[in-house]
Amino acid sequence: MKPVDLARKLRREAACDPAALDRGKEMLMAAIRQEVEPRRRPTIIPQLPYENVGAAVSFLVRAFGFQEVPASRLEGADGVLHHALVEFGDGVIGIGTQGAHGAISPQSGGIESQYVSVAVADVVAHYQRALAAGARIAREPRGADAHAYEAFDPEGHRWRFVHRRLREVREPEERRSR
Amino acid sequence: MSSPSDAEVIGRSLGEPEAFGLIYDRHAATLLRFLGRRAGARVAEGLVGELFRIAFERRKAFDPSRGSALPWLYGIGSNLLMKHRRGEARRLRASARMAADEAADRRAGATALDARLLFPRVAGAIEALPDDERAALLLFAWEELSYQSVAEALDLPIGTVRSRLNRARARLRELLEPKGKRRERSQ
Repeated sequence: MKPVDLARKLRREAACDPAALDRGKEMLMAAIRQEVEPRRRPTIIPQLPYENVGAAVSFLVRAFGFQEVPASRLEGADGVLHHALVEFGDGVIGIGTQGAHGAISPQSGGIESQYVSVAVADVVAHYQRALAAGARIAREPRGADAHAYEAFDPEGHRWRFVHRRLREVREPEERRSR
Repeated sequence: MSSPSDAEVIGRSLGEPEAFGLIYDRHAATLLRFLGRRAGARVAEGLVGELFRIAFERRKAFDPSRGSALPWLYGIGSNLLMKHRRGEARRLRASARMAADEAADRRAGATALDARLLFPRVAGAIEALPDDERAALLLFAWEELSYQSVAEALDLPIGTVRSRLNRARARLRELLEPKGKRRERSQ
């Protein structure tokens, strides 16, 4: 028998699991969305000033689950990070060196002039992650089904994390009840 | 209305990335089976998404004169499989046992015994082929790609494919021939 025919006899039919196909498609479509996404950047991008941009970005990623936007890093000749974009869901925030556009970090100025509200799927899980990463908590979540909590990042910017579904509906109620 | 060729779809996907999803719908099942045959279902599932992600990123490099994207996709899959040689070797050995059993069922006595020895040797010989020869041989023997398609898949001139397949054949033949004859040849 010819070698190729012998090799052919070792061919086995392999299963084609429809669920595996669906998961593969999901992976491809995610890659496609990533390419399309930059063209759909939000019209408004808030910018937060920091003394140490590199440390701020890695904290936001580690503690709050932000993702650094690929290829958004702006580094000086000395390798110091001056600016980067971080994203969460469909929101984007710029993290930049203080003073570059006038604004200063609460760590230098001693005062917070704004806070950022972020909608999350699971407030308590998010809180536990932030706590484990060493975030200072400004307002504890209340109860096991808490719908919000607030935390400071290392330079004192205040972040509010609110349950995604309750964001629009519950916030006014919460204010009324206080 | 005739459906657009792969080349047309990929061309469209340069401006309209979502169109590339159609390439997946057309070929993913074939590629998933190919990867499954070579590396097992579990590895194949992880690889099929990766394969199409890579194809999507490299779609600008697809040569539109080729029409079908299938050989090109087989080529990306063949490269991915090189990282999974160990799983592939395990699978080949399992296939060898099954092939031997099948052959033994149909025959009797000495022939059955031969089959028991033969197929593990075939599997061992395929496993021992250099990566590039094994890739070419299995695209040709298992996926039944033409020389031209193997050349497109591996991005090689057709002459190189021919010589790789000939080398792979010669190596297999050498491993499967009776010992006396082999010794003669090597002298």
